[in-house]
Amino acid sequence: MRRLKDAPSRGRAITVDLEGESIPAIEGEPVACSLIAAGESMLARSVKYHRPRGPYCFAEACSHCLMRVDGLPNVYTCRTPAREGMKLERQNAFPSAKVDVFETIDWFFPKGLDHHEMFAGVPVAEQVMAKVARQLAGLGLLPKEPAPAPPPTRTLRTRVAVVGGGSAGLAAARVLTDQGVPFLLFERADHVGGRLAHGAPESGAPAMEDVATFAPDSVRLRATALGLYDDEHGRYLAVGAWEPEGPRLLKVYAERFLLAPGGHPPTVPFENNDLPGVYAGRAASLLLRRYDVAPQVAALVGWGPELYALAALMEDRGVKVAAVVDLRSAPPPGVHALAAQGSEPKAHGLRHVSAFSYTTTSGARQKVSCDAVLVSVPVSPSFELARQGGAKVGFDSARGLFHVAADADGRTESKEVFVAGDVTGGGTAKQAAEAGRRAAQALVGGLS
Amino acid sequence: MSKSLICSCEDVTADDVRHAVSRGYCDVESVKRYTGFGTGICQGKSCLSAVAALLEKEKALAPDAVVPFTPRPPLYPTELRLLATAPVDESVPPVGGVPQEVEVFASALRPTEPLPAKAKVVIIGGGIMGLALAYNLARAGETDVVVLERGYLCAGASGRNGGGVRMQWGTPALVELAKRSIDLMKGFARELGINVWLRQGGYLFMARTEAVARKLERNVTLHNRFGVPTRLVTPDAARDIVPGLTMKNCVAASFNPEDGVIFPWPFLWGYAQGCRKKGVRVETYTDVKGFEVSGGQIRKVKTDRGDIACDTVVLAAGAWSPEVAKLVGVQLPNEPHRHEILSTEPLKPFLGPLVSVLDSGLYFSQSMRGEIVGGMGDPKEPAGLNMGSTLRFVSRFAQALMEQLPQVGHVKVLRQWAGCYDVTPDNNPILGRTPGLDNLLQMSGFVGHGFMMAPAVAERMAQWMATGESDELFTRFNLRRFSEGSIEREDMIIG
Repeated sequence: MRRLKDAPSRGRAITVDLEGESIPAIEGEPVACSLIAAGESMLARSVKYHRPRGPYCFAEACSHCLMRVDGLPNVYTCRTPAREGMKLERQNAFPSAKVDVFETIDWFFPKGLDHHEMFAGVPVAEQVMAKVARQLAGLGLLPKEPAPAPPPTRTLRTRVAVVGGGSAGLAAARVLTDQGVPFLLFERADHVGGRLAHGAPESGAPAMEDVATFAPDSVRLRATALGLYDDEHGRYLAVGAWEPEGPRLLKVYAERFLLAPGGHPPTVPFENNDLPGVYAGRAASLLLRRYDVAPQVAALVGWGPELYALAALMEDRGVKVAAVVDLRSAPPPGVHALAAQGSEPKAHGLRHVSAFSYTTTSGARQKVSCDAVLVSVPVSPSFELARQGGAKVGFDSARGLFHVAADADGRTESKEVFVAGDVTGGGTAKQAAEAGRRAAQALVGGLS
Repeated sequence: MSKSLICSCEDVTADDVRHAVSRGYCDVESVKRYTGFGTGICQGKSCLSAVAALLEKEKALAPDAVVPFTPRPPLYPTELRLLATAPVDESVPPVGGVPQEVEVFASALRPTEPLPAKAKVVIIGGGIMGLALAYNLARAGETDVVVLERGYLCAGASGRNGGGVRMQWGTPALVELAKRSIDLMKGFARELGINVWLRQGGYLFMARTEAVARKLERNVTLHNRFGVPTRLVTPDAARDIVPGLTMKNCVAASFNPEDGVIFPWPFLWGYAQGCRKKGVRVETYTDVKGFEVSGGQIRKVKTDRGDIACDTVVLAAGAWSPEVAKLVGVQLPNEPHRHEILSTEPLKPFLGPLVSVLDSGLYFSQSMRGEIVGGMGDPKEPAGLNMGSTLRFVSRFAQALMEQLPQVGHVKVLRQWAGCYDVTPDNNPILGRTPGLDNLLQMSGFVGHGFMMAPAVAERMAQWMATGESDELFTRFNLRRFSEGSIEREDMIIG
């Protein structure tokens, strides 16, 4: 990964401290992005096998980018804005992440290990193992100092609480605004738009709603929905909001909850899928579109329309695409010159991706050199809040995903909970916007 | 080394999932527990669908039986100090709780093969009590036993507790049972081939009032009489045992270095595997629907998979026991009470013992994996089967924990859950024959500490059942005591 030469200035150039070394960064951008742009792609060692790890999802949905930041353990650097002098340390390595003696564990257990049965009941070995395991377990160190107390929880009441400011959430907010229904929209990222803002551009995607036309303060950025709880006063959303004075907890009571949180970039099991240099497709488009950071040569693998849109986006910005491998079916004609169906993908490299290989439909192994493997598959719906609110969750075996069960208007088992967008199983940004509009209209009709 | 990771937070490979299936763990909840997938920092966001798809593709599960594991709050790791700011109204009882967890098992998970038409012993409840009893019966030569479990192994309190095991009790009977249990736990891996990760880091009990301090003092005398090396410690000595502990508002403490924590789940797997090897049937996702009674005896147990004729029925359904007993017209005095618990991000070892403030019921320990695991009872918790999670609990717990260990404020909570204590009027179990229904044996009412008692209780009960020799345990804790007078109350209840 590198920052593109034609990148416009996106903020103040600063430096951060990576284990005593000064690394250039851009103020306010995710610090993991600055690190990989500066060539530092190994940010951690994994918990059990001490495998090298670099950021994967850029969505707080995995654990590859966790670092000790300013003395705090397990911080998602993929969402932590870079600050001048910020101190970053890699975790779970001895003596250092670059030369970690515990990497040997990875070689001892080539297929995985069953810690339940290992040395079970073997005298002495059992006791030694328990002692060693305890020292090896854990990730990060307890902070040394007491934490300052955050400001008190704020209780808010609104008619509709919307979770997610992507295509579906914004379209719903537009309907609510037009109908004069008060709402609060919570977006986890520091910008709205979801894939409209940072996905691979889709043909026919709706224009982004202008948040300025919504009621003032109705859209909260960097506000993460943590749970859909209930108590003696009714159902509410617990939100962790980043305010200028620090984090604050919000309790948001509402008559209806319109959940449009989208999905998580899933893991696709293949050999060395955790090697630094393997990125989720949506991470790659985010890095390119918002921060002008991209690989030199990328191999793309996955399935679904986003795979081909991502290939087009990469080439459009000068990234060389070395392979586009569809793991499900023969690529539609004309999507990409290199597009091919394949199986058994594998990332190669010792500390970082240096090549990618797969089996072609004729059974031959094909290998290409690259510095990144981009895994683009449909996102895994974020059904958690809906399920907490009483909605049913089904399994789509054709796509291998869980999704929230809802009717065409986004109604779920729970009369207070409506859903729209990727959380119901995925589709295009246009379909998500339509679903958001329908759900907003349907829930407004049910309000007294 | 080349690996295909399916859960990268916990370094679980696709082969690990296949291995779990080969051990008989096929449903998503069981595979989660056996492999550890989805229990790390991301709580399943990136791995859950991949595991589910693999289980379905490799025919470990029918498509209808692919249900996600329960998504527990918080959705993203959240600092204790932030959760501590949530307002709590201590004057009203806690209500609600999410997500709904009672009555949730998909019917597609129910096994399709027939149950045996008859068995000598039917044990209702595949928690630690039922499984430990079945295993001990089989060891004593009685293998014509069927264990019925309504969910997966670990679905009830046995899979939801904090893993604390201690000898510090207030009555001789429980001190002795706990002591024997911990001895049996030490040999568990050797006998059953599965690690339980017993770590004897001790239990540190703290007292806020003189009255509670005197209780600890009395306990020390009692424990020492049984060879349990509990000692009273001053606040300063307690701070030496747990660096960083404030001992705020605490006047005294007691410490037994031989208490500790274990990993609860492998006990159930170990006992269940041990049972199956000896020919005992352990039937999961099988619900008891009623009984056939004649001549003062239960003749058949009716389930959603058919009836089983039997000689003896053991009720070991924990907090569900009163509900099951009602099906056969037996009124039990137990009541289920929700108790909530949480787990944080894993950290390198910093905490030796399990620490508990006896006055408030706060307890916390560090698991083998490094997580802070802890809970605190709510005096206002109403009776009823409820396993939902509340923000009220995390807030109360976070406040109480930070009072004793201020540097945990930045530590992030990964998940919260709840289980049900099976509470009896005297905090002691109900064991032995049911008056008026001779072949129904009770094995419930363990008030949140059944897990640590089970190995010893099951050993005694199997012996008693197999030989018919009298054992005072089954008269002392008989259901009769509630109608006939003499009860001795256990008051060392926490959580």
